[in-house]
Amino acid sequence: MQSLLRRVYLAGSHGSAAKLLDRAASGVAQSGANLLSIKHLSSCSWIRPFGNSIVSGDSVHSHGFCVNTMPMRGLSTVGSAEVSVEEESSDSPGVEHPPRIKFKRPDKTARHIMNILNKEAVDKVRGEREIPDVQPGCIIQMRLQVPENKRRESTLKGIVIGRRNAGINTTFRLRRLVAGVGVESVFPLYSPNIKEIKVLDRKKVRRAKLYYLRDRMNALKK
Amino acid sequence: MAAFLRSKCSSVGRTLMGGLGNNLFGAVNSSVETVSRPSHCDPIFQQIRTFIQMRTNLKVVDNSGAKRVMCIQSLRGKKGARLGDTIIGSVKEAQPRGKVKKGDVVYGVVVRAAMKRGRNDGSEIQFDDNAIVLVNNKGELIGTRVFGPVPHELRKKKHLKILALAEHIV
Repeated sequence: MQSLLRRVYLAGSHGSAAKLLDRAASGVAQSGANLLSIKHLSSCSWIRPFGNSIVSGDSVHSHGFCVNTMPMRGLSTVGSAEVSVEEESSDSPGVEHPPRIKFKRPDKTARHIMNILNKEAVDKVRGEREIPDVQPGCIIQMRLQVPENKRRESTLKGIVIGRRNAGINTTFRLRRLVAGVGVESVFPLYSPNIKEIKVLDRKKVRRAKLYYLRDRMNALKK
Repeated sequence: MAAFLRSKCSSVGRTLMGGLGNNLFGAVNSSVETVSRPSHCDPIFQQIRTFIQMRTNLKVVDNSGAKRVMCIQSLRGKKGARLGDTIIGSVKEAQPRGKVKKGDVVYGVVVRAAMKRGRNDGSEIQFDDNAIVLVNNKGELIGTRVFGPVPHELRKKKHLKILALAEHIV
């Protein structure tokens, strides 16, 4: 029944609407639906299909613009029965669609670009000066340029108790004793203020973060 | 046998098991000296790394005569004081014949804080203790010496006298 009604819409411009409406009327009579008689609709000369609705003949102007439209209340049995002409013609093999472009997620693309930039920046810094493999448990000595202190260089010696890998933002945590007071500092590994890092000793550790040295500093002393 | 047991048992285990009256472990315990750790080294006694707020106890690192001060008011910020900020405190412990005595309400500049503080160059610094230097209400130092390291951020806070008297600047 629904397919018949669908073909009524499409065949309106080809002149075979009357035959299809006759068939549709017999189908409606068999199903016992007390709708408006489709036979009566077919005899009316002022109604002709226009797209998905029945439009009076004088409502269509020379430009093909529809002013007064009457929705097909009598003919629609199910809401999903009405299918547009474009959808129907899409099944035909003659129509060619443009290839579907697969867009990447922008956050993934941005992450990929940032990874490339990170790698380039790290390679540039490594080309300028030698940066050793600083791991937890290393006892290091570094020359640091303090910007606030009139560009004087200070020498720090301590044990690395942690490291955070983040590309160019990689940092390590240095713990040292200054006048009997424990001081922990976090430095960016690729900072331009660090002039030199020298690994004096490597202790065997089995932890990534040596925070227990806050309680017993003498455990890994030389 | 004793050497094997000595290697297997930790220092805490030896101490605990030595007091149970077992002769074997008692012999091991007598031959090996136990390492006694102070109570403040226990992980639960580690320094709380947060703002210096009301009722925080601070160490006094000058020769004004006070030993320990309890914070009763932070003069900057809603949450509490940080490195370089000024606080009001009450002296809880003091040396005899000092410039301040127990119960005095004093001003102080935080020269060491356990809470980490970021720097302009991307680094961070944190100390193992909270320490202050006592000043009067005009900001002048009460003592004449400053012990231990102080950070160079005090230069921005205009505490140049503290930096001049400090042993180490970090």
